[in-house]
Amino acid sequence: MHDFSYHTPATLAEAIALMQADPANSCYLAGGTDLYLALEHGAAPAGVVIDLKGVAGLEGIVALPEGGWRIGALTRMADIEHHAELQRDYPSLCAAAEVVGGPPIRNRATLGGNLCNASPAADTSTPLLALGTTVAVSDGEQERTLPLAELWRGPRQTTLAPSAVLTAIMLPPPAPRSGNAFQRLTRSAMDIAVVNAAVCLALDEAGRVASLRVALGSVAPVVVLVEGLESALAGKPVDEAACEQVRSRAQTAARPIGDVRASAAYRAEMAGTLAMRALQDAAAMAGGGS
Amino acid sequence: MSAQGTLPLQITVNGKPRTTQVEPRTSLLTFLREECGLTGSKRGCEEGECGACVVMMDGRLVNACLIFAVEAAGGSVTTVEGLGEAQHLAPVQQAFIESGASQCGFCIPGMLLAAHALLQHDTHPDEGAIRRAISGNLCRCTGYDRIVKGIRLAAELQRGHA
Repeated sequence: MHDFSYHTPATLAEAIALMQADPANSCYLAGGTDLYLALEHGAAPAGVVIDLKGVAGLEGIVALPEGGWRIGALTRMADIEHHAELQRDYPSLCAAAEVVGGPPIRNRATLGGNLCNASPAADTSTPLLALGTTVAVSDGEQERTLPLAELWRGPRQTTLAPSAVLTAIMLPPPAPRSGNAFQRLTRSAMDIAVVNAAVCLALDEAGRVASLRVALGSVAPVVVLVEGLESALAGKPVDEAACEQVRSRAQTAARPIGDVRASAAYRAEMAGTLAMRALQDAAAMAGGGS
Repeated sequence: MSAQGTLPLQITVNGKPRTTQVEPRTSLLTFLREECGLTGSKRGCEEGECGACVVMMDGRLVNACLIFAVEAAGGSVTTVEGLGEAQHLAPVQQAFIESGASQCGFCIPGMLLAAHALLQHDTHPDEGAIRRAISGNLCRCTGYDRIVKGIRLAAELQRGHA
């Protein structure tokens, strides 16, 4: 590993100033479970490492007064996985956090790091996209929020300015009669996903679809939402026909590559299957809660 | 540009405070093995897959191979050497011996720490909880059954000791 200088800024402004001094040669460090190896393999800028863990206010899970939750970007997977209220309202997110590596990885890996790493196979990205999450980004002077989908440009690429810091992830409050679920396909527990899918579904008082978002991971350069499903199924029951619509549209929406883990055709087919299973789980949660 | 070279490091290792200088690129694993002489934490895959290097850092099980020693500044680290003493083994160590949980032994320091981390917050782990707790630790002898048995016995011993 190359030598580098290591900084522990106490404020966001200080961290951003450090980055702005030499952006091409600097990187932010959160949990380090991806970055450490990127530094070792020369895949990340190596001269200046700016550790964000000393910056106040970037960690923790806080209920918002208007409903929903704010998860600090440096909150670790283990803390999300075991959080009782998140488990109740956002089981899809907790289920995804629970399969990121093994326990020692989840004790270090952060949610913000997982999103900014911008892997199309990142397990937490898929449920967060389905849940309608927004993220807060700071440039040192002000914080702006953007829909999660606008965070990613491509594999391992975000749309953020080099010095910007993703500070928090905001989960909207769960709608009445809603449910969410996560499904994942992998060869073994410790491998990354071949495909993953998440569904966030809300029903109206008659038990018909009020809103529906289906997200797919590992099937495109970024984690994607399946377009057109909500308008196709609004006002309809979650029956076999709806399941088939979700399955076939998810399969069509998938634009996967083939690699050592799975062929492109298998990934697309399983994207449909997992989306359908996640819909069934979400519907059970939405119906069971009313 | 700020200076490269070494940084001061204050850290508590197995209960003993230490003050030293390290290069920022030094991993916590290298620091523990080469600076502290604590070779119980093993250098396995060095990419966070095998768990042979895991230690407790500020109460959490972590991969020492994916952490820079400077990130542990001000913190407290426990390695397998800090779990018990030869004349007074920790319950997990005693239970692994009694269960024949160790074959080649390379994974065992990590397994012991993973078991220790589990038993800190779950005194009655079922088999599923035990297997999840060691899911970040590979045993290439594939001796998992004895290890699981050892952790179950450790929970019993620990409850007896409490």
